[in-house]
Amino acid sequence: MATSNNTESSRSETDGQMRPGLWHVVNERYPGSMIRKDDAVELVPLAKPISECRVSFVSTSGVQPRGTMPFDTVHPVGDYTFRRVPSSSHPDDLEIHQLKYITSGANRDLNCVFPIQRLQELAAEGIVGGLTENFYTFIGYNMAPELLEATLAENIAEAVVESERADVVVLAPA
Amino acid sequence: MALRFELPSRLRDFMSLQYLKDAAESGDKEAMIRYVRLHFGDGNEKVGAQEIDKAWSEALKLMLDVPETDRQFILDTVGSQSPETLAHLFFQLHFYFVQRSGDWIHDGNL
Repeated sequence: MATSNNTESSRSETDGQMRPGLWHVVNERYPGSMIRKDDAVELVPLAKPISECRVSFVSTSGVQPRGTMPFDTVHPVGDYTFRRVPSSSHPDDLEIHQLKYITSGANRDLNCVFPIQRLQELAAEGIVGGLTENFYTFIGYNMAPELLEATLAENIAEAVVESERADVVVLAPA
Repeated sequence: MALRFELPSRLRDFMSLQYLKDAAESGDKEAMIRYVRLHFGDGNEKVGAQEIDKAWSEALKLMLDVPETDRQFILDTVGSQSPETLAHLFFQLHFYFVQRSGDWIHDGNL
C-alpha cells in the first residue's frame, strides 16, 4: 500500500472504505508503519520451471488447524506465534481466529483468504511441482517489530526454506 | 543457518510499540487509553470507548442478584499469577464480556 501526501491519493485511500477515517487514524497513530512502494523487494527469477517447483504458502489470515491454540486476538501488542497448516488439509479441518478483517466470506469459502484447495489443484494438475508439507499462518496484528522479525519472519522463513525446501513461496495478507 | 531480516529503521523507529513505551514512561495515560480504545474499537476510538462501557455493563449485570461466585478462585488466581498474566486475562475478559453481551462489532472471532 503506497502512502502519499498527495490530496488525490489521500482521497482515493479513504473513498469507499468500510471504515472511513481508519486510514487517517493508522497514519496518525502508527506513522511510518504503512508499506511504501520503495519498500518492495526485487523479484527473484525462478531457477527452474514452475512445474518443477515446490510451492509453499504464508498467510496472515489467522487460519489454523482445529484444536490448535487459538491465535491471541485479544493481546494489545499482538500475537507472535505461527501455526503450521498441513497442505493436505481440507477447509473443514481449519478455522479462523482473528478480529481484524471480515470473515463472513472466508467462512463460506476459506479459499478466498487461504486458497488451499486451489493450490492442491495446481499441484494435482502438475502446474506446480508440488506443495510443501505445511503452509504457515499467523495474524497480522503485531506491533513489536523486533518480535516480528525474530519469531515470525525469521522462523517462518527458516522453516519454509530449510525444512520445507520450498522453491516458491506465496505470501498473502488477509 | 539462521536467516536474517533487517527491518527498515523507519519502521523500527516509528511503529506504535515505541510510542506506547514512551507514553508509559512519561505517564501519558491519555495516549495509552486512546490506544486501548483503538484496539477495542478496531481503529475507531469512540467505538472503543463504547466497547469498554459495554464490557463493564455486562459484568455488572451479572452481579446484580449477588450470585454465588468462586471468590477463592479469584483470590488464588490474583495471588498466584504474574501481573503480566493477569493483564492478559484482563484483556481476555473484556472481549469475553463483550461477546457475552451479544453485541459483537468485530469482523472476526476470538
